[in-house]
Amino acid sequence: MSDTPSHRPVESMLPKWVRGPQDFVGGVALIAIALFALWASSDLQGTRGFSFGAGTAPRMFAFLLLGLGIAVMLVGVLTEGAHLATYAWRGPLFVSLGILSFALTIRPLGLVISAFASFLISALGTPETRWKETIIVGICLTAGCSLLFPYALGLPLQLFPRFLLQ
Amino acid sequence: MADLFSNLGLGFSVVFQFVSWSPSWLGGFAIPIPVNILLCLLGALVGTLVGVLPGIGTIATVAMLLPITFGLPPIGALIMLAGIYYGAQYGGSTTSILVNIPGEAGSVVTTLDGFQMAKQGRAGPALAIAAIGSFFAGCVATVLIAVLGAPLTKLALAFGPAEYFSLMVLGLIFAVVLAKGSILKAIAMIVFGLLLSMVGSDIETGASRMAFNIPELADGLGFATVAMGVFGFAEIIRNLDAGAEMDRQLVQEKVTGLMPTKKDMIDSAPAIARGTILGSILGILPGGGAVIASFAAYTLEKKVSKNPSRFGRGAIEGVAAPESANNAAAQTSFIPLLTLGIPPNAVMALMVGAMTIHGIVPGPQVMQKQPELVWGMIASMWVGNLMLIIINLPMVGIWVRLLRVPYRLLFPSIVVFCAIGIYSLNNAPTDVMLAGAFGLVGYWLIKHDFEPAPLLLGMVLGPLMEENLRRALLISRGDWSVFVTRPLSAALMAVAAALLVLAVLPALRKKRDEVFVESEN
Repeated sequence: MSDTPSHRPVESMLPKWVRGPQDFVGGVALIAIALFALWASSDLQGTRGFSFGAGTAPRMFAFLLLGLGIAVMLVGVLTEGAHLATYAWRGPLFVSLGILSFALTIRPLGLVISAFASFLISALGTPETRWKETIIVGICLTAGCSLLFPYALGLPLQLFPRFLLQ
Repeated sequence: MADLFSNLGLGFSVVFQFVSWSPSWLGGFAIPIPVNILLCLLGALVGTLVGVLPGIGTIATVAMLLPITFGLPPIGALIMLAGIYYGAQYGGSTTSILVNIPGEAGSVVTTLDGFQMAKQGRAGPALAIAAIGSFFAGCVATVLIAVLGAPLTKLALAFGPAEYFSLMVLGLIFAVVLAKGSILKAIAMIVFGLLLSMVGSDIETGASRMAFNIPELADGLGFATVAMGVFGFAEIIRNLDAGAEMDRQLVQEKVTGLMPTKKDMIDSAPAIARGTILGSILGILPGGGAVIASFAAYTLEKKVSKNPSRFGRGAIEGVAAPESANNAAAQTSFIPLLTLGIPPNAVMALMVGAMTIHGIVPGPQVMQKQPELVWGMIASMWVGNLMLIIINLPMVGIWVRLLRVPYRLLFPSIVVFCAIGIYSLNNAPTDVMLAGAFGLVGYWLIKHDFEPAPLLLGMVLGPLMEENLRRALLISRGDWSVFVTRPLSAALMAVAAALLVLAVLPALRKKRDEVFVESEN
């Protein structure tokens, strides 16, 4: 975990006239999302007469978001605001990897392996993890989930790898 | 009046329904089992269990536990969800009082006096008064829903598409005004949510919109997926920022002396009554009433108190009033959902999601066609409240022990549990990946001071808004003035506009910020 103080100046990346970097970057991101949505919905049919087409509402909301994004960005330029927050990399990275590994392995390898693996990968998200207890808890959790979801709740989850079952 | 009683009677008969269970090994002997009561009980227990985990709010809890209700029949599922909801709320109060970590915005104020009480060794009375106040508020709100439900349904039947659209605009504006922080950013989040709801097939033409030929996106982004990502995963990641060993000032003393003294009761009785009234009124308003209700109730108590300096130092009224208000508002916020089909806040939006999965479209029609469902749910809310008092209060010791589980073990468990939950929605690995992606989006949003709750509300209201807007314009032959020429719609729009103007006015803005700042210190 990076122990950086929360007010580390990160603004060096941005020009001086940006007085509220947090809002400025937020606004820019919204603009990007809006433009992307406009591009993605450009192939849809627009209004015909007074009847809405498939693309009318998406474009309407996208234009609204574009306007709001510009407004948020302007707020970031014109008023003094918060600096960019510092991001930690360890937590987001390993939690995402844990989720991703679960998504990729649940089908071929079944619940037992993929839940346990995902537990261990997520646990890397903090340096404070003590492996012995983590593994014990991981085994208990996997066992609990293997009983809870397929049996107690009757959900169609496969427990073991497909190649072992065949 | 007779209607009211017969309706409530119907509700309770649904909740107290017995199903005969005659397993073969009993030799034809049948045991009556109160299935729905048990489901409610189970929901309240599981809801508290998850809600008590620090850093997991009500929305995340309900989103996480949604999958376990899927296998049940609709009535049972909704009753269990109601139980989960109340359990989660109660779990939130428990963490507020014992650990000084509010699970959600609504219980922020509870930490002010609740944690102080716990430090003085009075955690027991604080928890008890929170439960008692909530129960009283729940009783009043249940009656209120029953009284207001039927007439509001009649009103709802007079609503055309234009009125629905205006009402939703009003609801969204409410959500914006009551949200914390920048109004501009809250509106931006709503519109982002509306935009996200457009992904998928168009309702009328069936055209695929912004789905990029990805088959999993053809039905649109799953609501539970986004909720779990933005609230569940994002919260976990954010909590990790501070290091896994969060500054948890857990009260180490053993929780003893659960029951409040006579003096406590006398002190808090008027506070509970005031909180209940305030909460019931604010809860009906669309747009996050529960949050503002607890703030308002706390401020009111401070104003009417003879000795305001006691607040923040362990005044029992400071726990009783906001907890009652919170619960009353949470319950009355079912009114717009059940009568108009419009979810007034993110939790109710999840309820809509759950209902749609069971093939129920909430709204005035449900009230008429499936009365046993609606009234059963209303009755189950009351039963859920009762469960909290009967079961959870004696189990406080267990919850406290749960709070001692270190976060480094807790968070991977939550990640895995959420992942399995999302996967089991549709048996789709893509959903899990999407939720993970939305977890990162949610983390980014938190870092940039964007509130995720309006996003969720916008996402649920999006399709409804589009549909009603289209219909209204089709009926008026493309004339946009329909929203201001129809009297009911015009009134709703006027209120929305007035609210927005008021919220931007500097004087009121200052006051609004004050309330939020007060809650943070």
